[in-house]
Amino acid sequence: MKGMPRYSPLTAVAVALALLAGCSRAPEEIYAPADYPTWERTTSITLNYPIPGHENRLRIPRMNAKGFSAIPARVGSGLKWDFPEDTVIVKEVYATANPAPGDKPVQLTIMAKDPNDKRAQAGWLWITKDLPDGKETVFTGNFCVTCHANANEKHPYGDGNSNEDFRDYVYFVPGEAAK
Amino acid sequence: MAKRQLRFRSITFTVNLFLVLALAVGVGLVMVAFTYSLLASRNQLTRSSLLQQGNIIYTSIANFMLPGDAPLAVKFVGQISISSPESSISLYRRDGVPAFSDNATIERVNTNLREAKFSPRAQAASQAARPSTPRFKEASSNPPSEVFFQESSGGNSYFRAYRPLINLPKCAVCHGSDHTVRGVIDIRSDVTSVIRTQNLTIAGGAVGFLVVVGLLAFLIGSFLRALVLSPIQSIGSLCTQVTSGSFEGRVDVRGKNEIGDLARTVNQMVGGLRERFELTKYVSRGTIGALTEGQKPQRVQRTLLFTDVRGFTAYTERHEPERVVRALNRLLERQSEIIHEWGGDIDKFVGDEVVAVFAGEDASTRACRAARDIVRLCAMRPADFDGLSVGIGAASGPIIQGMIGSERRADFTVIGDSVNIASRLCSIAKAGQVIVGDSAKAAAGAEFAFKGPFGAKLKGKAAPQKVWLLLTGAGPG
Repeated sequence: MKGMPRYSPLTAVAVALALLAGCSRAPEEIYAPADYPTWERTTSITLNYPIPGHENRLRIPRMNAKGFSAIPARVGSGLKWDFPEDTVIVKEVYATANPAPGDKPVQLTIMAKDPNDKRAQAGWLWITKDLPDGKETVFTGNFCVTCHANANEKHPYGDGNSNEDFRDYVYFVPGEAAK
Repeated sequence: MAKRQLRFRSITFTVNLFLVLALAVGVGLVMVAFTYSLLASRNQLTRSSLLQQGNIIYTSIANFMLPGDAPLAVKFVGQISISSPESSISLYRRDGVPAFSDNATIERVNTNLREAKFSPRAQAASQAARPSTPRFKEASSNPPSEVFFQESSGGNSYFRAYRPLINLPKCAVCHGSDHTVRGVIDIRSDVTSVIRTQNLTIAGGAVGFLVVVGLLAFLIGSFLRALVLSPIQSIGSLCTQVTSGSFEGRVDVRGKNEIGDLARTVNQMVGGLRERFELTKYVSRGTIGALTEGQKPQRVQRTLLFTDVRGFTAYTERHEPERVVRALNRLLERQSEIIHEWGGDIDKFVGDEVVAVFAGEDASTRACRAARDIVRLCAMRPADFDGLSVGIGAASGPIIQGMIGSERRADFTVIGDSVNIASRLCSIAKAGQVIVGDSAKAAAGAEFAFKGPFGAKLKGKAAPQKVWLLLTGAGPG
């Protein structure tokens, strides 16, 4: 028609595909928000001793309020923890064991409770966040969950879980902070 | 612009080519998808199996190690390798040195525990070769990851998995906390026979694919050829025959479908053409020309030639009808041939009389040649015509040419004075004589010899007409 712009069928298909692609991509969820440093620490212990995975670098774990609302169930003589969905634990990892004041962490490792996510392992998403670009990546290997499985047994950290409570893969459960 | 030359391409070839290509692409895609799926499935299964084995072995070794039963772990790994010849399992420290090949670990554990809990061995328990480094490093780096890959060695194919042994917090008591990966479990599975079987399956599939494509192309091609192409070829062949003037053929297609209908229509059409062709024998060329070029009457210059058998009435009374008709037809046939040979047109046969028209600048010359040849023929071969001979008259002049008759039956013929004169000249010509009008004689040229002129008293003409006798070299002329 005169005066009307002409579009080829190929253009129409390309536009349709672009729209479909745009519709199918959900916005990426941010697990460690900007205000996470205001979250409460899960332990008062200075975690600068060497451990497998993080070696001898300072770690500071913080948990959101949702996580601190968790109450363990009593099972026999032990306790069973089941952190509620949307619990997020952010562990700051510094470059050295004793960083200077004002130093920023070089990496964040994140546990986000989301049992319905198909990428979840043991109910948690295991995420790394590179700094400073802020890109969060869900870890698909089983390294994190394998290591954290020790939190449910006796281990050498914190109170050592000598009672072998099921701590839902978290080494420092609420109450540990005071220790 | 140069005109593009279209090359003839047989429909049979085109259809078969299209079929083969369509089948090759269609079935080929299915085959490729099948093959890809087969290989992916095999790899996935093998990968899952190896990783599962790795998990079981990992758990077993971890449980042997925790109470300090490392020798049991060594024995366990060795026995698994013996009981499964297709699989080999090796254990490496994170630096790639085979585990238990020396006493380094024992010494370190004793140091960490601050007691000589484990006694050094006199002989190494394992002497496995060092694994390939790039993938091994990937498995033993921080964070560690499981690595799965395929390799060939000594003509055999292997699937291989590196399963990192993580230095868990509970392991750190003995082994220390300064490293993340304790070592790597190396599981190697010989899949040579599996791959061979799979390759045979794929090769068999490929052969089957080719056979199926060929067979389907042949079957569909044959079917199309029998149903469509052969009938079309027959119809095309018939059309070629018709184009070359033969109307005797017909298409032998009996199918009750579109092609059958087409064949029947073509047969009917050719039948109609044959009838019309036969009919053209009974009308003059002028009539046929008038049908195509228009039937408007017109005045034209022509040379008229009349021939008439002399003594024919008496002849018919003396002989049987069959003999009469046979002799007359033979004579008329030969006259027709000669007239046509010289470019004349038979206007009509009236009993034993022939009326011919010659057109063109040399019409008189050709009319005289035709008359001469007819007379000579009758003289030279009287037996052919049972002794019959003709007298001929020819005249030139303006005539009227047009469709003469009624709406039901008409002829495209000629009328006029010259026609009458030619007819009168014919009637006074004796057997073997050719009498030519003065204008025709003048136009005939020096090729002919004439005797005359004579004054002829013709019916319908008050004054005697100047006529000439063509000297043919035969008969009384």
